[in-house]
Amino acid sequence: MKPFDMLTLMQFCWAFLAILGFSIRVNLKGIKILYTAISGGLCWAFYLIVLYYSRSMLFSVFIAIILVCIYAELVAPRLRTPVSVFVTCAIIPLVPGRGLFVSMQYYIAGNNVQASKSILETLLIAGTIAIAIAVVSSVTNLFHKMLNRF
Amino acid sequence: MNKLSVKQATELALEVGRILLQSGSATNRVEKMILKVCAGFGYPDTESYVTPTGIFISVNDSQGSISTSIKRIENRRIDLGKITQVSRLVTCLEEQDCPDGRSDMDAVKFSSELEIIDLKEAWPAWLRSLCGGATSGFFCLLFGGAWSEFGIAVLIGIIVSYGMKFLSKLSFNNFLLNALAAALIVFIAKFMDIYIPYIRLDNIIIGGIMLLVPGLSITNAIRDTMSGDLVSGTARGMEAVFITVGIVAGSGTMLKLWALWGY
Repeated sequence: MKPFDMLTLMQFCWAFLAILGFSIRVNLKGIKILYTAISGGLCWAFYLIVLYYSRSMLFSVFIAIILVCIYAELVAPRLRTPVSVFVTCAIIPLVPGRGLFVSMQYYIAGNNVQASKSILETLLIAGTIAIAIAVVSSVTNLFHKMLNRF
Repeated sequence: MNKLSVKQATELALEVGRILLQSGSATNRVEKMILKVCAGFGYPDTESYVTPTGIFISVNDSQGSISTSIKRIENRRIDLGKITQVSRLVTCLEEQDCPDGRSDMDAVKFSSELEIIDLKEAWPAWLRSLCGGATSGFFCLLFGGAWSEFGIAVLIGIIVSYGMKFLSKLSFNNFLLNALAAALIVFIAKFMDIYIPYIRLDNIIIGGIMLLVPGLSITNAIRDTMSGDLVSGTARGMEAVFITVGIVAGSGTMLKLWALWGY
C-alpha cells in the first residue's frame, strides 16, 4: 500500500468518523468534537504512513502516538480543554483490541504457542503507547518549566 | 466580597473534586483544581491528597486552625465533557475574567453553575447510543470490514450502549460490567451469523470490543505515574488490566458456549 493514496485517505475518514462518534459518546460538546476526531484520524494515518516506510509495527505506533500527543498539547490550551481529554480520544484507534481478540481466540482453540506470541505482541503495543504518552507529557512539563524560568 | 467560612469552602472544593473524579479525571488534575478553588475563595494554605476512590483535603485557616474532610468516591464513569466544563469554570474563578464577560464570581453563583454542570446531560441518550453504534461500525470498516458487516456492527454498538446504560444502573462493578457487555457483543454477532450468510465475525466483534477498551484508564495511569502520583497510577493501571481481563473473559466464555452448542 502506498502511503499517500485513496486507501489511506479512506482509512483516515473511517478513523475520523469513529472518533467523532466516540467523542459524542463521552459527552464532549462544541468545536472540540471536530478537533478530537481529527486527532483520531491523524493517529491512524500517521501509523499507516510510518508503517509503510519503516516496516516495524512498534516503531510506527510509537511515532504516531508521539505526533498525536504533540498535536493534543498544541491544540488543547487554545480550546481551554485538559490535554488528557484529547489524548484519551486520540489513542483509541491504536489500542490493541484486535490483538486482544485474536490471542483470546488462539487461547480458546488450545493453540498456546500462537496465543502467547499474540499476547506478547498486544502487551508490547500497549507498553509502547504508554511510553510514547509518558515521553511527550514529561517533555512538555520540562518545556513549560524552562519557559517559566527564562 | 466577604470571605466564605471554612466549612463552605471545603464543601465547594469537595464537590468540584467529586464531579471531576466521577467523570474520570487524572488525580493530579483534581488535586490542582481543589487547590485552585480553595485559593479562589480565600484559603491559599490548603493541602489535598486524591486517590481514584477518595479525596482528602485539609484547609488551613488564617488563625491556624485546620479542618480536614474526607470524601469517598463511588461509581466512576467516562464523561470528558464534564471534566472540560468544570476545568473551565475553575480556571474562570482563578483568573476572575472569562470569555463570557464575567468579571467576578461569588460562591452562590459558583455552586449553582456546578450543580447545573453536574445534572445536565450534554446529549440525549438515544444520540449517545447511536454514536456508540457509529463508533463500533466505523472501527469495523477501519479493520477491513465490508458494508454488510458495518450494518451489523452499528446494530451491536447501539444495543451494547443501551445495555451498558441499563447494567450500570444496577451498579455492577467494572469487571462484571465489561465482561457482560463483551459477552453480549459476541452473542449478537454469533446470532446474526446464523441468519446472514457470508459475514466475517472477527471484524464485527473487534469493532464492538473497541467500544470497551480502557483507553481512559491507560492514559490516566501513565499521566498520573509521570506526575509522581504512584498510588493512583498503579491503581489506574490495575483498573485497565481488570477491564481487559473482563472483556477477554466475557467474549471468550460466550464464544466457547456457542462452540459447545455446535456453531
